Amino acid sequence: MAAERIAVETQSQYHGTVERPPVRIPLNQLARGQRATVECSALDALPETERCLLAAMGLGERCEVRVCKPGTPCIIQVDQARLGLPNEIAARIMVTPVPPEQP
Amino acid sequence: MNNRIALLGNPNTGKSSLFNRLCGLRSKTANFPGSTIEHQVGTCSVPSGPELTIIDLPGIYSLRLELPESKVCADCLDGKIGDGRPDAALVVVDANNLPRNLQFAASAMRRGLPTVIAVNMIDLAQRRGFQIDAAHTSRLLGVPVVPVSARTGSGIDALKAALAATVLSQAKPAPQIELPDGEPGSAPSVRWAASVLDAIAAGSAPREDDTQLHDRLDWAFTHPRLGILLFAAVMSLLFAAIFWFAQYPMEWVDMLFATLGGFTERVLPSGILRDLIVFGVIGGVAATVVFLPQILLLFFLLALLEDSGYLARAAFAIDRVMRRFGLPGQAFMPLLSAHACALPAVMATRLIPSRRDRIATIMAIPFMSCSARVPVYALLTTLLFVGRPWAAGVAFIGCYALGAIAGIATAALVGRSVLRGSPPPMLLELPAYRLPNILQAFRIAFDRGWLFLRNAGSVILAIAVVMWWLSAYPLVPPPESATALRAQAAQIIQRDAATAEALDTQAARIEQQAQQAGSFSGKVGSALEPIFAPIGLDRQLTVAVITSFLAREVFTTTVFVLTGAGSDAEGNESTTLDVVRSAKRDDGTPLFSTATSASLLVFFVLALQCLPTVAVVARETGSWTWAIGQLAFMSVTAYLLALVTYRLLS
Repeated sequence: MAAERIAVETQSQYHGTVERPPVRIPLNQLARGQRATVECSALDALPETERCLLAAMGLGERCEVRVCKPGTPCIIQVDQARLGLPNEIAARIMVTPVPPEQP
Repeated sequence: MNNRIALLGNPNTGKSSLFNRLCGLRSKTANFPGSTIEHQVGTCSVPSGPELTIIDLPGIYSLRLELPESKVCADCLDGKIGDGRPDAALVVVDANNLPRNLQFAASAMRRGLPTVIAVNMIDLAQRRGFQIDAAHTSRLLGVPVVPVSARTGSGIDALKAALAATVLSQAKPAPQIELPDGEPGSAPSVRWAASVLDAIAAGSAPREDDTQLHDRLDWAFTHPRLGILLFAAVMSLLFAAIFWFAQYPMEWVDMLFATLGGFTERVLPSGILRDLIVFGVIGGVAATVVFLPQILLLFFLLALLEDSGYLARAAFAIDRVMRRFGLPGQAFMPLLSAHACALPAVMATRLIPSRRDRIATIMAIPFMSCSARVPVYALLTTLLFVGRPWAAGVAFIGCYALGAIAGIATAALVGRSVLRGSPPPMLLELPAYRLPNILQAFRIAFDRGWLFLRNAGSVILAIAVVMWWLSAYPLVPPPESATALRAQAAQIIQRDAATAEALDTQAARIEQQAQQAGSFSGKVGSALEPIFAPIGLDRQLTVAVITSFLAREVFTTTVFVLTGAGSDAEGNESTTLDVVRSAKRDDGTPLFSTATSASLLVFFVLALQCLPTVAVVARETGSWTWAIGQLAFMSVTAYLLALVTYRLLS
């Protein structure tokens, strides 16, 4: 429910009239199929080992992710690679949801 | 070795398949000094070119991560380990995931070695609508870039030629576009890869496969309940297949060694040398090598599962359960394979990245009921539940459950005391679903089998010879009763050959019994009897338990020999069991009372009676402290619980 509410809010933010900076939310709050971009300092809350590993695995700055499966593990797609993350790690990665494409 | 080429790349780029394409079967598995991280070394022939030595390094995401695999790769490229700096590097990149793979290639090129880039899985990328201009990419990066498909073999000849030319010319990378300063994942590296990709692929990117189907499969395989149910079903099928298909080759191996032993016995004159070869070398090695078919099948099927992309998902499903006991999800496969044999299971823990988790898993592995325990369980449960096969079956399963519970409890205990901390969170790349490569699976099974045989030919052989000597010497003269039986047999052999043969067999058993009692191991048995008496063992059973430290299944052989069982003239199995069941101690009481059988069963479930396992644990943990500590802990636990069982039932 929370993920759906955030998705709706995010849509209204992009398609509506609200003028404010994009909302950054934890990765684990995205719904299945939702896309988001990873911004600078998105991984700052993680310990260095995990941060470096995730960055090297492709979860680097400005990359776009798609949620294949929320929960534990949280499975995301980065380019053509799928990464599985525990929920506690996904909760500490801040992303900016991408608005759904216009039909 | 000359013309050494380090093969490196991200995991799941088809690096090992490419290695196999380049080297075929001309390769061996090795470890870098002081490390348990494996690498393969193979030889690659180039038509009208030099012979190349390819070093297949572990798949890594960056050369600078604080992970043992990354450190080994970096040290190898820098010439700090192995035979010095390699002559060139071959970087494998996945054509379907170039943004990330190019960043890794850049970090490898920065090391300054002459480099060749193989763009693998190009056939799949082309089917997905992705085109790459290899010549332009090569000019831009200043190194040869060769599109290949390790799966189909396309582009392999061109790759070999490029490798040979690079090794001979020793041309260092001369990129037209400056290499990024940061490591893969850093902002400069990401920007660099994006600009290169724009230049070489004109913005085209591979289309995605059926993401809906893959999402659904991922959901099912990693689901907290459904995922575990599916995993249990897959593993049940796997182990049923192993036990079913392995039984025939196991019989053939058994027959082969029996024939070899028989032949040697006939050819060599009787004496110490013949006994050493027949009973020490052939008999001792046969007891272990008989499990080779199970090990080959296990690793073949596991390789198929891994290559299909399923195992990485299953590790996530099981991780949730394992984590409660301080073990990571990756520990499940070694623990499961330990039900075939603890030796390859301990070696399989190399897949677990964290040393803490690896040791915690190794501490749990020998508690799992391996194949060698099966004959012992079968004998003792049959003795415990005469005429009640269903109860014997339940007890049999109970042994497996007790071992698994004790193993996981030990891991939890070790994780909360000696190895403080919890397993690091599991971050895994989930490989794409695909049809497994059967040749690759054969190769993995072959490698593991060879490693197992090498172990059998060194550590196990040495132990077998020592144990044989301890049980065969000093030579004990035949007892009077045996001599009398042989004389009686000689008198009646003309009239009644069958009875004479039976008398001879009986005499041989008495002689063997006397030899067992008078041998060094027999004397040790007598000396140790007071220790084992509280759990219900007499001198004969103490000898059987002591000799089973060679290999657990030796227990049944020793019991049959000591009780004078074996086979009657018709080879009737029930008669053998009847003899064991009715065997008496020196004081006339039954050898196997209910309390003794149950106590022995508990002891065999929990005790580490496998010296080869102790040797392998010492090697894999890099310390005899862990190995001896584990032996002591398991022995004390087994003894105490056997004591409780004996006291409760006697």
